[in-house]
Amino acid sequence: MQLEDFPQLSSVELIEQGFESFGYICSPKIATAVFLAFQLRKPILVEGPPGVGKTELAKTTAQLLDLPLIRLQCYEGLDEAKALYEWKYGKQLLYTQVLKEKLGDLLKGAKGLAESVERLHQFGDIFYSEDFLEPRPLLKAMQQERGAILLIDEIDKSDYEFESLLLEILSDYQISIPEIGTIKARTSPMVFLTSNNTRDISDALKRRCLHLYIPFPTVELEERIVRSRVPDVDSQLRHQLVEFVHSLRQLDLKKSPAISETIDWARSLLLLHADQLDEELVRASLNVLLKFEDDIEAADAELRALLQTSHKP
Amino acid sequence: MQSNLVSFIQVLRTHDVRVSPAETLDAMTVATTLGYANRNMLRDGLAMTLAKTPEEEAIFLSCFDRYFYQRLSDFSDTESTLTDMPEESATHEEAADGTGDQISESPELSPLDAAAREDAGIQALMDSALMQSLVNNDRNELTMAIGRAAEQAGLRQIQMFTQKGQFTRKILDAMGEEQLRSAVIELERQQSPALLDLQRYRDILREQVRDFVEREYLLHAEGKTRQFMDDLLTKTRLNNIEHMYLHKVHELIRKMARKLASRHSHKRRQLKRGQLNMAKTMRKGIPNDGLMFNTYWRKTRKEKPQILAVCDVSGSVAAYAKFLLLFLYSLQDVLPKVRSFAFSSHLGEVSSYFDDYPVEKAIELVNWKYGGATDYGSSLQDFAKLALDDINSNTTVIILGDARNNNGNPQLEIMQSIYQRARQVIWLNPESRRVWGSGDSEMLRYLSACHFSAECNNLKQLERIVDQLLKSTK
Repeated sequence: MQLEDFPQLSSVELIEQGFESFGYICSPKIATAVFLAFQLRKPILVEGPPGVGKTELAKTTAQLLDLPLIRLQCYEGLDEAKALYEWKYGKQLLYTQVLKEKLGDLLKGAKGLAESVERLHQFGDIFYSEDFLEPRPLLKAMQQERGAILLIDEIDKSDYEFESLLLEILSDYQISIPEIGTIKARTSPMVFLTSNNTRDISDALKRRCLHLYIPFPTVELEERIVRSRVPDVDSQLRHQLVEFVHSLRQLDLKKSPAISETIDWARSLLLLHADQLDEELVRASLNVLLKFEDDIEAADAELRALLQTSHKP
Repeated sequence: MQSNLVSFIQVLRTHDVRVSPAETLDAMTVATTLGYANRNMLRDGLAMTLAKTPEEEAIFLSCFDRYFYQRLSDFSDTESTLTDMPEESATHEEAADGTGDQISESPELSPLDAAAREDAGIQALMDSALMQSLVNNDRNELTMAIGRAAEQAGLRQIQMFTQKGQFTRKILDAMGEEQLRSAVIELERQQSPALLDLQRYRDILREQVRDFVEREYLLHAEGKTRQFMDDLLTKTRLNNIEHMYLHKVHELIRKMARKLASRHSHKRRQLKRGQLNMAKTMRKGIPNDGLMFNTYWRKTRKEKPQILAVCDVSGSVAAYAKFLLLFLYSLQDVLPKVRSFAFSSHLGEVSSYFDDYPVEKAIELVNWKYGGATDYGSSLQDFAKLALDDINSNTTVIILGDARNNNGNPQLEIMQSIYQRARQVIWLNPESRRVWGSGDSEMLRYLSACHFSAECNNLKQLERIVDQLLKSTK
């Protein structure tokens, strides 16, 4: 990827503005990370609690640059056949049968075994060639002409071995296929890896990446996010609901409400024609914010106190 | 700036942030890409390459603030210099106020200048660069002078807090404080009115240098001192560790266990497959015109390893047993099936204590219940009754004890039957190998029924043995 092709990424401020125009409000830190990733051609490892916009960051970058987003969702048992490439077995089988029929013509007039083998060697071998290669997400990202945004989602869910598989791709943007050789990326893609920190990522992988930790946003930032995503909510209600969510995050919950939940809640409040938070309304719509019965009960008990803090101007 | 960045990374390393050379190179590129104009942006950028976990990022931020706080003179950005140095400027304002008062009281000449007129030595002192910057309150000049002197004195090599005084002295000497000191003595003798002023300047200088050394110490040596302490503790015999360090040892053991756990907890792909399942392979090949394209294998079963830990908790080895129990307790992530037994005169299973109570309480309970005089013979009989049937080729038995049996019956046959059934019998003896077998020690006889025996009386040895153990149980 050359800078000339992507003027959107030429400075940190421009990136921030560009993201904002696509409705992704980010802190300068995030914009700096994207800027550096582009300048240094390094992948970004994005960590943070679920729902703070890790995946969204990659999607928005793809929109901003108008590049295809290629996504690889990791899970336990993911292996190279599903992530890198697979051979087209069916076609290979057909090819051998075609070859069998042609074998007679090919070997016509050959004397002795040695000469037959010699002829066979002269015959081009395409059994293992790119024609029979079925590209999976990682290889596909390398084949894009203009470059691509490669999103390797929830890397912490994959097996430990899978990480080592990624090392070559992440540092040199190339893939080694034993039967063929090394395939280099036509244009090196921009890579985002996300992790929810359910296990430690190996040092080797971390070393190759920029490390970006996205925490829950500040009240001001979250208000801006809600404003850009749900513009119809009036400012007073917006302030109240963001404050309320922030005070919820102070409680000991199984799963704290994330930005995506705040946005969902703002949308549902809009549908309910609410213009300010009251106890009944919050109690009725709490299940949008909290996803565990225990959490809802815990918040229910504290509801009045929580609402009081959020009603402060 | 480059060398500054390198020494900053050095500082990070002493604070337990692991930074590889490759990351150092990345940091350089980041610094040149982002430039030095925007401090926050540079900080964020460096944090992304150097810190790889949220904890490391917190360490990074505090180090960054401390390190570049005093080195701001290297940045051309004067604005941030002013905003970021409130503390220092405050002390100087006080100092400036002090001199200001003096000057307003005697508008023509300050007492110091007056004294300088009379004495050539003090005049020379007043003309020196050091004194000029003190009198004119030129803190940039002063900070730089301190920095130069510190460089000369090799302050970066500071290792221990006991060296702080020594380095302060060295820096003061290098800055020519001696002259100032002798002038103070001279004025004291004369009982000159300028004495107070000069004393104040001397105190300001000393305070500045002391602060500087303190900050440098925190940056460069705090981590080193901690590492030194940790290092020392891992090599000390466990029964010699002072009570006040016990909590530190707990922490160390936990750290070690975590390290071992992460080293051994990776799942490994099972290499040994079962036999080829010919029937299934042929059947699955039918759609492919009889070509056996995919192969199918019978599966092999792999048993989980089981560990039985037997600890002597009698008075003589209690200190060691405590640590081994603590270690095994911390290792439960990696070794799901640990059963612990404790004995002195009789033996019982104590696994449930470890499940039900926090570790300190559990160890206390074990000691209370099973402490006493040692009888290996009857304890082994108890053990055989309780667990011999469970011992199979996946079992590792670890015994911790000094094998001092008070001249009782050692019941070697039981040990031998354990030896024959188990995959591994490991005996850890806190006594040194030379005294094994002396007096009432049955160690040499028990040795014949052990796969592996070792002396184990400090944390280093313990770590090595457990590491080995984990390797072999995989």
